[in-house]
Amino acid sequence: MTARISTLQQWMLGITCALSMSSAMSHDMVPGKKQSAPILIKGATLHTVSNGVLNNSDILLKDGKIAAIGKQLSQPSNTQVIDGQGKHVYPGLISTVSQLGLREIESVRATVDITEVGEDNPHLLAHVAYNPDSEIIPTIRANGITHVQVTPSGYMLGGQSSVINLDAWNIDDGLIKSAVGVHLFWPSKPGYWVSKKRMPKALKAYQKRLDRLQDYFAQSKRYATAYNADKTIEQDIRWHAMLGLWSKEKTLFVHADAINEIEQALRFNRTHDMNMVIVGGRDAWIAKEQIAAQNVPVIYTHAFGIPARGDEDIDQAFKTPSQLKDAGVTVVIGYESAWDSRSLAFAAGMAAKYGLGKKAALEAITLTPAKLLGVDKQLGSLDVGKSASLIITNGDVMDYQTHRVQQMFIDGRRVDLNNRHRQLYEKYQQKVAIK
Amino acid sequence: MIKKALSSAIIAGLASQSVLADQTSPVLGMHHKTPDLMAFTNATIYTSPNVKLTNATLVIENGHIKSVSKNGKLPKGASVVDAKGLTIYPGFIDVYSEYGIDFSYPSSKTRGPVYRIDRIGGNAANGAIHAQMNWSDHFAPDQKAAQKYLKNGFTAVQTAKHDGILQGRGVTVSLADGIANELVYNANAQHFASFNKGSSAQNYPSSLMGSIALLRQTFSDANWYQKSQGKSVTFAGDNIEYNAALQAISNIEKQGVFFSSQSEQSLLRAAKLLKNFDIKATFLGSGFEYARLDEIGQLNANLVMPLTFAEKPTLGTTQGHDISLADLRHWERNPGNLATLEDSKLTLAITSHGTKGNDFLTNLRTAVKHGLSEKAALAALTTNPAQIAGIANEAGQLKAGYNADFVITKGDIFKNGDIVSVWTQGQEHQFVNPTHLAMSGDYSLNSHHSDEALSVSIDLAGKKAKVTIKQGDKTLKTSNVEKTSDSVSFVVTENDQAIRYRLWQGDQQNALEGRQIDSQQQSMLVTANKVAKDAKATETSADDSIEYVGKLTWPNRAFGQATLPKSQKLHLKNATVWTSEDAGILDNTDVIVANGKFVKIGKNLRTPSGYQAIDATGKHITAGIVDEHSHIAISRGVNEGTEAITAEVRIGDVVNPDDIQIYRSLAGGTTTAQLLHGSANPIGGQAQIIQLKWGESAQNMKMKNVPGSIKFALGENVKQSNWGSDYRTRYPQTRMGVEAVMKDAFVRTKEYKAAQKAYAELSRSEKRKTAPIRKDYRLETLDEILKSQRHVHIHSYVQSEILMFLRLAEQFDFTVTTFTHILEGYKLADEMAKHGAGGSTFADWWGYKFEVYDAIPQNACLMNQRGVLTSINSDSPDLQRRLNQEAAKSITYCDMSQEDAWKMVTINPAKQLKIDNRTGSIKTGKQADFVIWDHNPLSVYARAEQTWIDGRQYFDLATDMTARKAQRVEKSQLINKLIGDKSPKVSSTALSASEKMIQPVWHCDDQHDTWQQHIDHGVH
Repeated sequence: MTARISTLQQWMLGITCALSMSSAMSHDMVPGKKQSAPILIKGATLHTVSNGVLNNSDILLKDGKIAAIGKQLSQPSNTQVIDGQGKHVYPGLISTVSQLGLREIESVRATVDITEVGEDNPHLLAHVAYNPDSEIIPTIRANGITHVQVTPSGYMLGGQSSVINLDAWNIDDGLIKSAVGVHLFWPSKPGYWVSKKRMPKALKAYQKRLDRLQDYFAQSKRYATAYNADKTIEQDIRWHAMLGLWSKEKTLFVHADAINEIEQALRFNRTHDMNMVIVGGRDAWIAKEQIAAQNVPVIYTHAFGIPARGDEDIDQAFKTPSQLKDAGVTVVIGYESAWDSRSLAFAAGMAAKYGLGKKAALEAITLTPAKLLGVDKQLGSLDVGKSASLIITNGDVMDYQTHRVQQMFIDGRRVDLNNRHRQLYEKYQQKVAIK
Repeated sequence: MIKKALSSAIIAGLASQSVLADQTSPVLGMHHKTPDLMAFTNATIYTSPNVKLTNATLVIENGHIKSVSKNGKLPKGASVVDAKGLTIYPGFIDVYSEYGIDFSYPSSKTRGPVYRIDRIGGNAANGAIHAQMNWSDHFAPDQKAAQKYLKNGFTAVQTAKHDGILQGRGVTVSLADGIANELVYNANAQHFASFNKGSSAQNYPSSLMGSIALLRQTFSDANWYQKSQGKSVTFAGDNIEYNAALQAISNIEKQGVFFSSQSEQSLLRAAKLLKNFDIKATFLGSGFEYARLDEIGQLNANLVMPLTFAEKPTLGTTQGHDISLADLRHWERNPGNLATLEDSKLTLAITSHGTKGNDFLTNLRTAVKHGLSEKAALAALTTNPAQIAGIANEAGQLKAGYNADFVITKGDIFKNGDIVSVWTQGQEHQFVNPTHLAMSGDYSLNSHHSDEALSVSIDLAGKKAKVTIKQGDKTLKTSNVEKTSDSVSFVVTENDQAIRYRLWQGDQQNALEGRQIDSQQQSMLVTANKVAKDAKATETSADDSIEYVGKLTWPNRAFGQATLPKSQKLHLKNATVWTSEDAGILDNTDVIVANGKFVKIGKNLRTPSGYQAIDATGKHITAGIVDEHSHIAISRGVNEGTEAITAEVRIGDVVNPDDIQIYRSLAGGTTTAQLLHGSANPIGGQAQIIQLKWGESAQNMKMKNVPGSIKFALGENVKQSNWGSDYRTRYPQTRMGVEAVMKDAFVRTKEYKAAQKAYAELSRSEKRKTAPIRKDYRLETLDEILKSQRHVHIHSYVQSEILMFLRLAEQFDFTVTTFTHILEGYKLADEMAKHGAGGSTFADWWGYKFEVYDAIPQNACLMNQRGVLTSINSDSPDLQRRLNQEAAKSITYCDMSQEDAWKMVTINPAKQLKIDNRTGSIKTGKQADFVIWDHNPLSVYARAEQTWIDGRQYFDLATDMTARKAQRVEKSQLINKLIGDKSPKVSSTALSASEKMIQPVWHCDDQHDTWQQHIDHGVH
């Protein structure tokens, strides 16, 4: 019984803390103010990612950036000091494929802005529909995620994704990098869900989809060739959006899970030579050597998956990240949905247990995604000069019992970790009979 | 007496007239009175599977057999057919046919769900019950369709329209050419049934368990209907309704049911159901029976096997990744299925159902090659089906007085013999001209134009004549090969001269006579003497024994068990033991297990002799995880969500022990799961608690002697909020309506029970006038709830509906056992605690629909803090293999203690399932259901190394690792065998193992009509 009381007390402290940070109980949290004074976190365990784990070290945040890292750092005047004893500091976690802000309630159509009509929509920008007041966002932040790549869905060419920070008044505030890449949802071969009778027709339709896909890229290439020769040609908004793919300024994110999809995508990229990334990658383990040889990174989204086939090893989905890494593939752990992507850190923990190791697992949700998204100058690790976007936790962020994120900073701004869930919890803890 | 070889000439005369004189039609024109007494002499005759006569004589007249004898005297005036070298078998009987029935039910044109069908002529309330149909009323012979059967040796079939759940009564008919009246052997054959509702447009049933429940209610209704006959009114005072369907099956126990199953599990389900009503059963098999031989072989029933084998697996474009071990194994063993069944208690028959072209005989021979004895095969084609079709006293044997239905072959039909002719009621249907057969062979021909004899090989059995001629080693050019009914002609170039030949059967046996004409028009007679065939060429390879490279496991798929685990005596030493009891978490503790129970828990215990000691230093031992809410291991539909109340359906009827999720969850430390009906209707079906005893039968997985439970549901799912615009008519569509439906059901139940009681108290004379109360399985189930014998687990989200149900239960004086999902439980924790209701929730799900927008991951904490018995459930095969992590989330989000968090997946759900006296904690005397973990089980880094149920080890990580390697080897051996198999891929209607296993991952709100929706190739 004593154990229970002490945890309760601890909890109450936590609540008070959270409340004091929030200006008021409101439907949503107020974005943090621009950093006005230096902040020093003292004597913490720093998980730098780029430079190993530094015990009992200090980190100084100034003007929204990491100003210094080391032992016994000197404090500039009016520095706010945070006691980091027994605490762990991590760079903010990055959710690399996310529908956050695009979808509030799955089954309520009015709240969903994810998939547009048609299959040739490379020009769509996901962040245009991003709702910074989504009630889901604060619950995601509470689990240590500071940045996401907002990603549309679709049939084949779905649109483009952008990197945003999760504490903003609107997308103008939040946008870190616009139009990082185009998302291609690779057509799936009809499977067991199609009856034998309907299979021939379904296969034909599938082949036609593949042909159309090739055709879209052929048209886009013709456009790029013509455009590069003459910038005044009539604009095709679709193919114009794909110019960056041909010049390799943008990334082609290919969403592919089944082995035949992945292999087709790899062959496709042999022809087109783009900056390709595989998203999903359920069967990537089967083609890991090929993927490594073509130097294609994988954003793996099945860290908690069940085996795709009856014969597969029961832990296949869990160990795939480690198998990919061992083969030399660059691996990012992703969590492709809105509300439950808050379990991103645990997904990395799972991969860590099944062979990836804690160091590589942490990298797979911080620095590797930052590099992949081209934002590693600002994000992804605790390095001097980078954005002061970090979290302070009770311990190992990837394990349930120690995960508790106590504080978060984005660009040195203190982020309110309160959220709808904590508020409802708080409210109903106060419930007493009134009749 | 003219002695003649069996030839087409004589037969043609016989076949042209009807053998049986029709007894009621007036004769038009002349009366035909050609005598038809015939004797077949010198034949090898199988009078029955057990009796083979050589050099015997078969005499037939008037479509019947007059005698079968060895050295018997020939009757005077008989036409004699010399059948030397030929074999005569009784005609084959196919008991599963739709021959001669041209009928289909009218189709519905209504858009959207159909809840009620038109009532016409006393039909049943359900559109899949066609019991009143008598298929003899619809039978019309069809000689074109008959050919398909005749050419395979069949002379009679039991036929019916195979559509629906109760399909009506079959008819057994001869395949002879004639009018229906003279062809019907048994107008009242078996009733036909299946689980598939077929063309019925009615929504109910949409699931396998719904079909089973419908059959159960219908059989029960038939008993009631029978008892009601002769009474004047129902208890309520109404007239007793006329119900043609119920009337038709009032004597079904004795008439027997032919039940078509498409998997071994579904066969067992049907067997159980029919046994409950003492109904004699015949089953259509699936080819998978060998995989559960221990259970199926014990059935006292008939089993009719189609001779279709699963298609050869396709290697595909992914180098074998998408080919399953189960498919490979089944492909290899499927042809041996019949052989394994030969020694069982089952009575076997063979049907040509599903076969095409020459498949039937080819596959019959394959089955024999795989070990089916010829005797058993013949019985399965003759005497056994005759018994099943109710014609054993007139067909199936060659016996005086029986119908003249038989098959004449040259050679052994079970090896490579050819069917020469098939006789139905004394009518011949010729397939090969016997003269052609006699003439086929190798000959030595003395040509006048060659110095040495020519080697001639003649084959006239096929459609086109084939002739090959060699002069020494040199093959001569042959052209213009033509045959007539009794000769063959061809042109050969001999020494640069074209010689024209015509050969015919000579007077002497083993010789042909003929004539050759050379280019000078010189004509000369020739003879060709038969030469014995090269022994090697005729004999198929001597070593015919079939060897299997694939293994047979339970279930027969990857990760199946080769042997079932035995109860062990164990001493687990020096572990961290999570008791889930007040004792809490004990360090450095030992646990002793014997006879399936925890015997002792303590420190530094001595290992009793005969016990296996396991050093568990550094390991954590916990009770096995219990999942309050699971939909794994369920066959064909988790929802019978068609009607608002379906309390009569039982998940227990459709437990699927082959589901790989069982193994995966076991590997995640889960030992017990409550399999719940889905949440598509306010009052769903009965639940089933299983233990994940991977490898055991469906029956053995069920936890015995535990209180029953049932699924209720509230909110968006039951009011069909997200089902689309076709679903706006079923009552209820609001939360108000949900309450009303439930209230009404309970009121009705009370009235029903009161009526039963009042009926029992009626005087004898009143009972004679009054029909008994019809047993209503739906209401009987609800009554169990009112008596607190069946516990309610109710799917619920928002506080209004939670409160509503608490009050409703209080009004009807029962306690709500568990609110499941209960994502707003935190808002009503006090009310739930006060009522005594438990809450079983998701750790952190929310946002997927409007009614979960207020869900919070602190829900479990708050309920727990306020004294609600709280558990975490999975509702998914994915979460079920890491419920330990789901429990840990309450530490993450709201600092629950480790002990309390762990109880939420062990003892608390066990209490909610009322099985906490058996499992859910580590306590002396309880069932030894436990898990050995390599780490604190509430950590993301924890992994189950061993999972034990009942003191038996059902999962071991080390064994799993070994099995993976062994399976890869086995699989590649099977793939090599597949690659080496040169036989062509033949399309087949038989299911492959993976087609049989197709099951979507079931979720609570799945709206899947298993009989209508896209997986139209699946299993029932």
